[in-house]
Amino acid sequence: MEIFLQACVNGLLIGGFYSLMGMGQNIIFGVMKIINFCHGEMLMIGMYLTFVFNTYLGLDPYLSIPLVVIVMFALGALIQHTLITPSLGTKSFTNLLFLTVGLGMLFQNLALVIFSPNYRTITTSYSTKTLSLGPVTMSLPKMISFIGLIIVTVALFWFLRYTPTGKKIRAVSQNPIGAEVVGINAKRIYIITYGLGCALAGIAGALLTLFYMVYPMVGASFSFKALIVVVVGGFGSIQGAFFAGIFLGLLETLSSLIVGPTYRDLTVFVTFIVILVVRQMIKLRRR
Amino acid sequence: MLEVKGICSGYGHVQIIWDASFVVNDGEVVAILGSNGAGKTTLVRTITGMIRPWSGSVVFNGDELAGKNSRNILDHGIVQVPEGRQLFTEMSVYENLEMGAYSKETKAKLGESLEFVYKWFPKLRERKNQAAGTLSGGEQQMVAVGRALIGLPRLLILDEPSLGLAPNIVDDILSVAHSMAKEQGISVILVEQDITKALRVADRGYVVENGKITLEGTSEELESNEHVKKAYLGI
Repeated sequence: MEIFLQACVNGLLIGGFYSLMGMGQNIIFGVMKIINFCHGEMLMIGMYLTFVFNTYLGLDPYLSIPLVVIVMFALGALIQHTLITPSLGTKSFTNLLFLTVGLGMLFQNLALVIFSPNYRTITTSYSTKTLSLGPVTMSLPKMISFIGLIIVTVALFWFLRYTPTGKKIRAVSQNPIGAEVVGINAKRIYIITYGLGCALAGIAGALLTLFYMVYPMVGASFSFKALIVVVVGGFGSIQGAFFAGIFLGLLETLSSLIVGPTYRDLTVFVTFIVILVVRQMIKLRRR
Repeated sequence: MLEVKGICSGYGHVQIIWDASFVVNDGEVVAILGSNGAGKTTLVRTITGMIRPWSGSVVFNGDELAGKNSRNILDHGIVQVPEGRQLFTEMSVYENLEMGAYSKETKAKLGESLEFVYKWFPKLRERKNQAAGTLSGGEQQMVAVGRALIGLPRLLILDEPSLGLAPNIVDDILSVAHSMAKEQGISVILVEQDITKALRVADRGYVVENGKITLEGTSEELESNEHVKKAYLGI
C-alpha cells in the first residue's frame, strides 16, 4: 500500500510535467493549428538556462524561473514573428512540419556545440533533503517542483479564463473569423501564444533540473510524451491535455510497479491505443 | 454615410467583385440582394477590411477606408454580423457579447450596452452563462447581433441573418435591424438571399449578380421590377 501511494505521488509529479508540456502544445495548436515539434527542445533550453544561471550566476534553480520565463517568452516571440507567422501564410502543413522539426534539430545541435554531450546536474544545499508526509516520502526538490506545477497550472487556467488576453487566445482558437470580426489582432495573439507555450516548456525545464539530468537530447522523450498527451487529450483542448498528462504519468509509474519496468511502455501504449479506438467507436455510434 | 465607389476585389488572382458602387445614408436600411455565390459576402468582407480592395474607394463619414485593416474599420464604427454567425461556441453567451467590446470606448460602455442588448433579446439574459454553441440557431443569431451592437456601430452590416433560421425568428431579427435604423439612427446594410423578407424592412436595395451591381432602387421599385420578379421572386 505504501509503495502504491508512493508510486501515485511520483506519477502525479511526472504527469504534471507531461500536462504542462501538453497544454503548451495544445494552446499553440488551438490558435495556429500547427504542432510544435520543437516543444521538447524548449524544455531542454529551459533546463540549460537554469543550469547556466545556477552554475555561473549562483542563482537558485527555483528562483531562476522568472528569468527563464522572460528569456523563453522572448525566444518564442522572436521565432513566431520571424519564422512561423510568415510560414503560416503558405498554408502548407509540410512547410510548418519541417520548420518546427528543423528548429528542434538546430537547438539540439547548438546545445551539443555549446555544452558538449555530457550529462550535467545541479546540486544545491537542499538537494538531498527529504520530506515525509504520512507513508509517502519525497525529496524536497520534487516536493517544491510538485507545488510549482500546481501553481503554474492554476495560473494558466486563470489566465486563459479571466484575463482579456487569455480570452482573446481562446477566441482566436475557437473561431478565427469571429475573432477578426471583433477586431482581435491575430498576429499579436500568435506571438503571445507561442511565447507562452515556450515559457511553459521553459518552466517545466526549470522545475525538472534539480532531479533530472541535463543533456542536449533530453527534450526528445518529453516532446514525444507531449504529443501523446495532445492526441489523447484532444487537439486544442487545454483541459484534455491536463488530464491526459496526469493520466499518462500515473499510468507509467503504476504500470512499472504492477507489471514491471520492462513492460511499462508496452502497457502505456496499449492503453492509449485502446482509449483511441474506444473513443472513436463511441463517436461513430453517436452519429 | 457610406459611399462605395468602383470597388474591385477578390481572393488570390480570382476577381469576384467588379466595379461595385453604392450609397448608404444615415438611418437607412439598405438591402444587398443576390443569390448564392453572387459575391455578396465578398463585398461585405471588402468593406469591413477582411480583404483589401484591388481598386476603388470606401468613404465613411468623410474618411477613406479602402486598404485599412479590419480593426481600423471597426474603430470607424462599421460593425458586422458575419455570415454563419462566427460565434465563440465554447464561450458563454456573456463572454461572446463581451468580446464585442473591442475598444476603450466600447469597454467603458459595456454595462450600458449589455442592458441595451438584453432589452432587445431578453432570452440572452436568461442564457448568459450557457455556452454559445449549445443555443438554438435563432438564439445564436441573437448573440451574433448582440455582439455587434456591443461594438456601438454607426453602420451595422448583417450578412445573411436568415440563413437556416425559422421564418418567425428571421422576422424578429429583421425587425430589430429595422428599429436600430429608425430609432437609434444606425445605418444598416442587410445582405440577403431572401429578397421578399429583406425588401419588407429595407428602404432601398441593390441587386448583385456575378459580382456586379445590376439593379438598384427603392424597395417598391425592386419588388415590381420584372427581372427581380422573374429571377428571384418566382412570379
